[in-house]
Amino acid sequence: MNRALKEAVLFTLPLVLFISLFILVPVLATFWNSLWQDVSFIPRRFLGFENFLRLFSDRQFWQATTFTILFPMVSVTLEMIIGMIIALVLNERFRYRGIVRGIALIPWAIPSVIGARIWQLIYRYDYGVANYVLTKIGLAPVNWLGSPLGAFLSLVFADVWRTTPFVAIILLAGLQIVPQELYRQAQVDGAHLHQRFLKITLPLIKPVVIVALLFRTIDAIRVFDIIYVITGGGPGGFTTSLSLHGYKYFLLGDFGYGSSVSVILFVIAFLVALLYIKMGKFREALL
Amino acid sequence: MKISRDTYILFVAALLVISCSKEQPVLTFAVGGAPNEVDYWERLIDKFEKSTGIRVDVMRQPTDTDQRRQGLVIPLKAKQKDPDVFLMDVIWVGQFAASDWLLPIDSCLEKSDVDINTFFRSIIQQVDVFEESIVALPVYNDCGMFYYRKDLLQKYGLSAPQTWYELVSVAEKIQEKERNKNPQFYGFVWQGAQYEGLLCTFLEFAHSYGGGLLDENGKVHLHRRENIEALQFMHDLIHKYEISPPNTFTEMKEEEVRLFFENGNALFERNWPYAWGLHERDDSPVKGNVGIMMLPKSSTGKAAATLGGWHIGISRYSDDINNAWRLAEFIVSYAVQKELTLVLGWNPGRSDLYDDQEIRERIPHIDVLKDAFNNAVARPNLPYYTQVSETIQRYLNAALSGNLTPAQALEESQTEIEKIVKAYHE
Repeated sequence: MNRALKEAVLFTLPLVLFISLFILVPVLATFWNSLWQDVSFIPRRFLGFENFLRLFSDRQFWQATTFTILFPMVSVTLEMIIGMIIALVLNERFRYRGIVRGIALIPWAIPSVIGARIWQLIYRYDYGVANYVLTKIGLAPVNWLGSPLGAFLSLVFADVWRTTPFVAIILLAGLQIVPQELYRQAQVDGAHLHQRFLKITLPLIKPVVIVALLFRTIDAIRVFDIIYVITGGGPGGFTTSLSLHGYKYFLLGDFGYGSSVSVILFVIAFLVALLYIKMGKFREALL
Repeated sequence: MKISRDTYILFVAALLVISCSKEQPVLTFAVGGAPNEVDYWERLIDKFEKSTGIRVDVMRQPTDTDQRRQGLVIPLKAKQKDPDVFLMDVIWVGQFAASDWLLPIDSCLEKSDVDINTFFRSIIQQVDVFEESIVALPVYNDCGMFYYRKDLLQKYGLSAPQTWYELVSVAEKIQEKERNKNPQFYGFVWQGAQYEGLLCTFLEFAHSYGGGLLDENGKVHLHRRENIEALQFMHDLIHKYEISPPNTFTEMKEEEVRLFFENGNALFERNWPYAWGLHERDDSPVKGNVGIMMLPKSSTGKAAATLGGWHIGISRYSDDINNAWRLAEFIVSYAVQKELTLVLGWNPGRSDLYDDQEIRERIPHIDVLKDAFNNAVARPNLPYYTQVSETIQRYLNAALSGNLTPAQALEESQTEIEKIVKAYHE
């Protein structure tokens, strides 16, 4: 082994070990568990892929899968658009910019369960803030979480509120590395604002956009806390995500079946991550 | 953080001392609930230790029922010797017994002063018997009750309803009048959110319509006329008669329901017996104006109440079965059960306490409760009950929200449950 290779191995070894121990082993163990029937009241037995067959005929599983795909599509899209606008504003020079940047981050700094609790108290039918405002201006109160669409949008709203600052900060970091001369040059050439944005800003910060997308999408696919707090998966299971669905089976004591839900969730998240990494062309960006 | 060598050695030495000094086995008693309840259990266990010389550790569990269950399932599944004695929600007994975690206590009972006939026979039969052995004993009982505002009924010259039909007409009348003063006023509040309490409420409606969860052969049979009628009625309470608030199916759990009623915003309430003590507290706006009785029934059926409560069991893996039984014996004794009733307001598991003079003075409606417990319907004792329940809750909730018709909801949950049953029977 030559020296360079030796060093490379040495430097990556801790990370590889760390990832194997804390990520690879649990993932493989979960997969292994998903092949068993593991409930307390009958002896543990090997099922092969039977848990997955049961999963595919489980209506709640499909409902949860649909939710798990729709939720990131809607919420991440909104977060990216609003986050970009905020980042562009925060990138401009103005008085108290530092303070405004700090304030913009507050929702992200609030622990997500507490943020979710705040929204739950806003949406509550009887003494929620939203209905209080409605009744004060003479409108009838709305049962925000009472319909599938209402519950879905309420969750999207809460998620967008909390995580948009995160997107904005990442994008802001990207904006700051765009050389200002390019804009001045473009201005001299007579490029409009939207042209400057589309032809200069966006291509240059694309890797950063992909990173923000990647983080946010994976997070939104695994969404659990805000649903657990705000809707509990209701009404009628319409806002149950895959992670909440799997969690319920762990709680109910069927570890094999719960594991099979986790495996599917892992596969979805993994495929999305691969897709983004391919889109990001990180190899080129880094070299 | 850097730990000095000396600290480390001290720490290891301390561990060694602790582990060596533990010679005589110590019982572990797992109990949870509201903090004041657990505090009270600790005092009670102190008394037991002093009078018997048996050492007991109290394993404090959280208030949340699901977490309490998890806290027991994990050590039991791992065949740990602790906890030795624990309290179980009625609906866990089936799973715990089928998992072979509970010690049959028939032989203990034979040698003991505890007479099984002092408990409610129907409760013992529905909950505590597994494969013809007794595996648990009731510590306290619970069941769905009907609360009404005496003052409002009197004001409008109406009486408490015996049937659902009467309930609707009385509630509609009074709600309309009361709305003039209080626009938030509703006729009837009950538990409709997607959680275990919804299934309890549904079973009461279903049984009162002549339906239920199981058929005569003990098979799950949800999709039938009586159940559809019952679920339709629950739906109509919210959407057609509009005497139950629109957030019934999104937010109403027992505490939300209790507060709604207690703040004077409802005429009738379905809740567990604990609500009575709180309604009668000095700072309660409805103090002195609350009546309690069995729930109404359909015009053809009979009133029903879903059985709840907590039962005591001994772990199969306990390393000190004799002392574990002595602890259980202590907890179900007349004196301790009486204390639990007087201090915590629990409804005793033993039926002989319902004739105790002091308790009768403290809980004037005790005869109503006794009657209800004699007729209470337990939820099925299936080992996979929690999964069945979770599925049914989801469909019931979908029907209450109007996204499925009652017939659709019951038919689909029936199909789902058959799949669950099949998955565990092969």
